[in-house]
Amino acid sequence: MKKLITGVAVVFGLIFPSTFTIAAPPDDTFVVGLPTDTIGLEPAQISSRHTANIMKHIFGQLYSVSETGSIDPNLAESYKISDDGKEYTFTLKEGLTCHDGEALTAEDAAYSFNRVADEDLAFTGNSAGFVYKSIDFKEARADSEREVTIVLGGPNHIALGLIAEVYVHCKDSYEKMSKDEAASNPIGSGPYEFVKWDKGSQIVLKKAANPPIPTNFENVIWRVIPEASTRTAELIAGNVDMITNASPDQVEAIDASSTAKVAKVQGTRRMYVGFHQGPEFAVTPGGAAIQKPEVRRALQYAVNVPAICENLLNAPCTRMTGIVNPNNAHPNLEPYPYDPEIAEYLLDQAGYPRDANGVRFEITLQAGEGRYLNDKNVVLAICQYLDDVGVKTNCEILDWSAVYIPLIKEKKAGPMYFIGSGGATWSPLYDMADLSAPDSGPNYTKWMNEEWFKGWKVINNTNDEYIIRREIDRMLEVFYNEGPWLHLYFQPDFYGVSNRVNWNPRRDEKVDLFNATLK
Amino acid sequence: MNSKKTNNQNIKDFLFALIKNKWALTSIIWLFIIIAIAIFASQLAPFDPNKNNIMERVAPPLTLDKQGNMKYLIGSDALGRDSFSRLIFGAQVSLIVGFSAVLVGGILGTALGVYAGYYGKWIDDIIMRLADIQLAFPFILLAILFLVVLGEGLINLIIVLGIGQWVTYARIARAQTISQKEKEYVEAAKALGVNNFSIMFGSILPNIFAPLIVIASFNVASVILAEAALSFLGLGVPPQIPTWGAMLAESRDHIFAKRWWMPFFPGMAILLTVLAFNIVGDWLRDYLDPRLKEVE
Amino acid sequence: MLAPIWSQHHFLNKKMFFYILRRIPQTVLVIFGVTLVTFIALQIGGDPTYLFVSERASPEEIEETRKMLGFDKPLHIQYLIYLSNLVQLDFGDSLYYRQPALTVILETLPATIELTIFSMLIAIFGSIPFGILAAIYRGKWIDGSLMAIAMLGQSIPSFWLGIMCILYISLNVSWLPISGHVPFLMLIFQGEFIQAFKNLPTTITYLILPSFAVAFYSVSRNARLIRSSMLEVLSQDYVRTARSKGLSEYIVIMKHAMRNAWLPVVTIIGLEFGFVISGVVVVEVIFAWPGLGRTVFDAISNRDIPLVQAAVVVISLFVIVINLITDLVYAKLDPRIKL
Repeated sequence: MKKLITGVAVVFGLIFPSTFTIAAPPDDTFVVGLPTDTIGLEPAQISSRHTANIMKHIFGQLYSVSETGSIDPNLAESYKISDDGKEYTFTLKEGLTCHDGEALTAEDAAYSFNRVADEDLAFTGNSAGFVYKSIDFKEARADSEREVTIVLGGPNHIALGLIAEVYVHCKDSYEKMSKDEAASNPIGSGPYEFVKWDKGSQIVLKKAANPPIPTNFENVIWRVIPEASTRTAELIAGNVDMITNASPDQVEAIDASSTAKVAKVQGTRRMYVGFHQGPEFAVTPGGAAIQKPEVRRALQYAVNVPAICENLLNAPCTRMTGIVNPNNAHPNLEPYPYDPEIAEYLLDQAGYPRDANGVRFEITLQAGEGRYLNDKNVVLAICQYLDDVGVKTNCEILDWSAVYIPLIKEKKAGPMYFIGSGGATWSPLYDMADLSAPDSGPNYTKWMNEEWFKGWKVINNTNDEYIIRREIDRMLEVFYNEGPWLHLYFQPDFYGVSNRVNWNPRRDEKVDLFNATLK
Repeated sequence: MNSKKTNNQNIKDFLFALIKNKWALTSIIWLFIIIAIAIFASQLAPFDPNKNNIMERVAPPLTLDKQGNMKYLIGSDALGRDSFSRLIFGAQVSLIVGFSAVLVGGILGTALGVYAGYYGKWIDDIIMRLADIQLAFPFILLAILFLVVLGEGLINLIIVLGIGQWVTYARIARAQTISQKEKEYVEAAKALGVNNFSIMFGSILPNIFAPLIVIASFNVASVILAEAALSFLGLGVPPQIPTWGAMLAESRDHIFAKRWWMPFFPGMAILLTVLAFNIVGDWLRDYLDPRLKEVE
Repeated sequence: MLAPIWSQHHFLNKKMFFYILRRIPQTVLVIFGVTLVTFIALQIGGDPTYLFVSERASPEEIEETRKMLGFDKPLHIQYLIYLSNLVQLDFGDSLYYRQPALTVILETLPATIELTIFSMLIAIFGSIPFGILAAIYRGKWIDGSLMAIAMLGQSIPSFWLGIMCILYISLNVSWLPISGHVPFLMLIFQGEFIQAFKNLPTTITYLILPSFAVAFYSVSRNARLIRSSMLEVLSQDYVRTARSKGLSEYIVIMKHAMRNAWLPVVTIIGLEFGFVISGVVVVEVIFAWPGLGRTVFDAISNRDIPLVQAAVVVISLFVIVINLITDLVYAKLDPRIKL
């Protein structure tokens, strides 16, 4: 026993002096704290925002969308569009290499695009699933050493921004690897080279020998820290330089610390409550009620969106006026004010007076939990606001991935549901593409309004900026008056930033560390 | 053994032993208070536990309304719901979950255990292999699996927590039944042609009840803790249903802001109640197991 | 001359060897049952296709993805395919990581083994001195306060304990790191012994708080258990005889009492393991510990069926093996037990 105690004492004696102070990251290293691990590291298979953020440091794109919404050169230095709008030809910068030293040529770029579409490899996710279907991708071909052409099925106003979401890699290195190997050994073309991935723990990157765009820090480490309190503690202790998804209720504590501050941005993600218009819900009293535009309009007045932002999100906000982000929104539309009296009056007028129990009609509001900022509480608050005007709301808060997402994607969520849809600042059409056709994937409301959908024909048949903008504004008015969304807010994003570094967040949930510097 | 007089004597002994042990007595009193609060929750709670008011969120304890009346005795939560009302209704939910889960697990486990012990052979084999499967499957994994798949809800939670417990009861019931099966009274009942079901649950069960009750007491405590752990992982009951575990789990957002009261009250409720069940379990075990009493 | 395997090991006698052999078919049965339960549970609520499509997926994209993931086949066919692969030790590819599920499990397993072993060491060895002290000073203030702490330890939710540790031990006074993991076992498995032992001190500093949070409940319970079994043993005749022979109290306790007080502790070690594994999930989330518990929790949330299956099989095997070892050790310690 005595020996044991001595042994333990010796061991502790050896350990403690060496690790008493837990060191901050070295000066050339930037450490990010993320809530979830990456979903693989395959550049052609991306279905999460965090994965995309890590990948854009490892892989270059032809062009990339900047934080201001401009579309800037990345691996390519220029591009031109054919007269019929179907061919985009990019000229690559000179002297590009992949991280294994191989020269990056137009052939590699064309390979990267064609690989995503390769049916044998069976990729899904953002590039194969969303981007390629949106631009109707046909093929990519190398025209010369530095010229690559992407061929589309038809002209598309937002093709350039979408092409910017495809990651470029080298042909030889990827042909050598099996699909399994490629999923965890990215050989990149971007500013940072992959070093290692400890699953569930960290992804380590170092600056590439030949970065295509300038960057500061020598090393970048993405640490996975699932629990928000732990992320906050690590930030305050100075062990990480930046955390994403800081909890709104921990903002004051972070700001009060001497080591870190919270950077808030108004994001581009549009948070809304959808009114399902499909016949399956029309048989329920609530589902039938929200088929009437007057009822939907009445409910807009019932919810105090600024109060939700102020109290539950800890970030003052202006309520959205519709589907499009503010910089591209209709200039003359004002957000619906919070006025429960108008709401009650309109509901009376629409034929839904309060009954003896003070109830106008009953309705279910479904939501997933844990995906958006304070989502559970926001939804409970919305239900309370609707209750207050006599709409008895049954709040169903469901498991996000196992239950809610299948309901949403099968368009069976409702009659009301809460969700956020990723948006962009660089084009109003990107935001509006949620409702590009009555049967489009993200039209979870099954909205069929002709006045809205006929606008797409006008837009797709012209290149005249003025006509496009006029049509957009007309459609946005339709959406404002009769749309299937209860307008909420653009989700604010909270990043905790250590005082050790200068780093500014972007509005579109993308994280780039290229401009970060040490203070 | 079954005469009325000795029964009374037993109860007297029991109460006397209880009064002698001040910790057990205090615990029992505390549990009765909690049970009373749970039963009369709707009368005791000053507000609707689900009525939220985001303008008055995270109010500190002893917050008054404009007329100077008590509004939030122990503060309000992140949605501006009255924490005191939620604590009171939380007692109801925690006890319902605790007792029901133990009942589910206890009844299931005891029944299977008695069957296995009484019949032996292949019935015993099947039941004990089921027990092996259950034991090889760490409880929390099973709970996560079923709550994610079946969805959150009080009934689902009770079933999952109950299923997590049955093996303990089954093993004890089986062992006890095997030892009772050879006793005279069982042989006598068999000779009289009493059917097996009556023998198992009419004659044997009352004689093996004591250790099962002890286990049940500890189990209520561990079920309350398990509920808290599941709440932390974002599983358990829907957010409208107040539970102590969920209140404590949600309060972790506020510890950096030094809103101590948010974790304090639900935390103390869990601590004291779990403590009480454990102390009562201890005392019951000592009381029912005379070997240890000699030592003391 | 071929000697039977057991003769070379004095621990493993013939009886034990056959006992282990007897347990093998049982184990296969249990593994089969565990996979069936998992499979049915994961399939009840539908397939995970929706997690692998883009945010704005169209119905065609969803259908194509379902086919690629193999969820368009009937359920019993899917299970049979799974079983036939399992027999060849092929667990399939993790849907989420796009790698063989077993590879993912083996990468996260070492961290969990470290945490589990350290927690069990704390749970077992941490409780012994407290249990003995309390038993020796039965009824005195030491006994009272130790047992009060033990009682409290059994009443605090582990996630709360973990968060409080981070807040007060790591953040406020920075005695120990907040979260994270420094690999040791992983390096040992990879054969990098020098690096592994260089890491060891740091590994341990990162281990202390999480294992404490996992083990505190068990320490409390075991301390109480040891106390009562010590009390029982101390009242036995042979201890009284030893005392009356004039042996010092220290020797009486160490030699006679301890050995017998151990028995009930050994029995619960097997159960302890299942219990520790349960505690590990919550603690791994709090301390950002890259282990199996968190992996399987995430995998269940993401409906990563092959990964969940592989994890469950591996964990069940562990539980079974640990229980087997416990049984053997118990039989060794107490010759009255028949296997």
